[in-house]
Amino acid sequence: MSPRATDAAYAIATFVVVLAVWEAVLRLLGVASFFIPAPSDIAVSLVRGRALYASNYLATLGSTLAAFAFAFIPGVVLGTLVAEVRFAERTLYPLLVALQSMPRIALAPIIIVWFGFGPESKIVLGAISAFFPVFLNTVHGMATTDPEQLALMRSLRATKLQAFWKVKLPGALPFLLAGANIGIIFAILAVIVGEFLGANRGMGFLIVNESSQLDTPSVFASVLLLSATGLCFHYGLQALRRRLLFWAGGDEVAGSSLQ
Amino acid sequence: MPDGPILDGSAAGRSETASALLQLVRVAKTYRTLRDAAVVALSPTTLEIRPGEFVSIVGPSGCGKTTLLNLMAGMIRPSAGRILFRGRNTDGPSTEVGLVFQRPVLLPWRRVLDNVLLPVEVIGLRPRAAYADKARTLLGMVGLAGFEDAYPRELSGGMQQRAAIARALVYDSSVLLMDEPFAALDAMTREELNLELLRIWQATGRTIIFVTHNIAEAVLLSDRVVVMTPRPGQVKAVIEVDLARPRSMALLGEPRFGQLAQQIRALLRPPAQAAA
Repeated sequence: MSPRATDAAYAIATFVVVLAVWEAVLRLLGVASFFIPAPSDIAVSLVRGRALYASNYLATLGSTLAAFAFAFIPGVVLGTLVAEVRFAERTLYPLLVALQSMPRIALAPIIIVWFGFGPESKIVLGAISAFFPVFLNTVHGMATTDPEQLALMRSLRATKLQAFWKVKLPGALPFLLAGANIGIIFAILAVIVGEFLGANRGMGFLIVNESSQLDTPSVFASVLLLSATGLCFHYGLQALRRRLLFWAGGDEVAGSSLQ
Repeated sequence: MPDGPILDGSAAGRSETASALLQLVRVAKTYRTLRDAAVVALSPTTLEIRPGEFVSIVGPSGCGKTTLLNLMAGMIRPSAGRILFRGRNTDGPSTEVGLVFQRPVLLPWRRVLDNVLLPVEVIGLRPRAAYADKARTLLGMVGLAGFEDAYPRELSGGMQQRAAIARALVYDSSVLLMDEPFAALDAMTREELNLELLRIWQATGRTIIFVTHNIAEAVLLSDRVVVMTPRPGQVKAVIEVDLARPRSMALLGEPRFGQLAQQIRALLRPPAQAAA
């Protein structure tokens, strides 16, 4: 078995043991499933409610991906501007840093007032949450370009644009990916909070309904789906990193700075 | 760069040295620190490099060797004096000059061949295919045949520095400026690369200006060794190395080699110690 397959086998075995112990303890103690559901209860509600889950899950996923796109592109563009253009650094940067210190989630109610109960308000909320990690990592990544690589470009009389495309952008890629990794997690969190507060579909909306009906197994099922999504994002970005950053070595997402 | 001939390549300067490739005329460099104090990195220095020469610059740490090299490379501007390349005033970095840094400074996301071709892309030399062939030939010359498609992190430090040398040669630069290029390498690799550099120098007819801490390396490689004083640096002496070429490591045992090395070492010793 390859080392990676062995690692996976250990991880899966651990999950199986934890689930088995969980199931056994609840059955032995006779805990009510509306209080803490057993894994089997959760599996049953997942299967029974699959149509409901599918449509709400897709709504949340769509809002999250849209929010991420609306955060990532401006984050990279503005981050590059701030890192490269002195004027932008003096004007945009202080403004954005001031905005960043604001608790974005606290704006959720007013954003729902402005953008309504539909997906738009969730996308806006997700985008403003995911923007800052992407933006700050971009600024950081561009600012930490190896000065000797830039000296090399200068010795060749490279234009600013050549230095950007050939040295700064590829060098900042590890930071962009780190920003994306954090950004997408922030996006899904903000979308769910938005759905808690005012929505007619989505996983957040579903969780609020399920808990008001004390349908705890379904709440757990919903949370499980969201966790699985988070894991998919993480491993997806990890795979992307291996493809794009094979040259940097190491599996971990380097250079991540949360805020 | 202005089109017409630059006339302030002063008449005096020209008449004495019509053959000089690179001339430094009373070049000085002063830095301002953050507290606005002036630090003299290089006292007025006059130096001439002839075409095809191998010149080493040795001096104590912080004497301004690297400053001198960066001035010649056009990477920094002199605070005073003039730097002439083929009798013309320089204005910043020139693609006639190839730089080799202490670290290899390869771009880790590019394969070795693409790293060597970076100058070709940046300068916009054509046809690319011809330069790709040239880059392969150069990689063979520096002993990296078969590593064209490797990534820098797959190479040892010595191999990376070889690639950096190939990169500095690919764009038909006439001068190679090398800033302690082998200082970070182990002694064996260093000796090997010294000999290879001599071979490359002879094969390509480049002018090489080589900064080093290592006296033996300077004597082994050079036609002339420029010895600098401690900070603020200036030229203390220029030693002609009258050893026959081609040279090999066997020279290290010869009396004349020892004499020259001793002469340079004496020049480098601080005055207090020399008097004692």
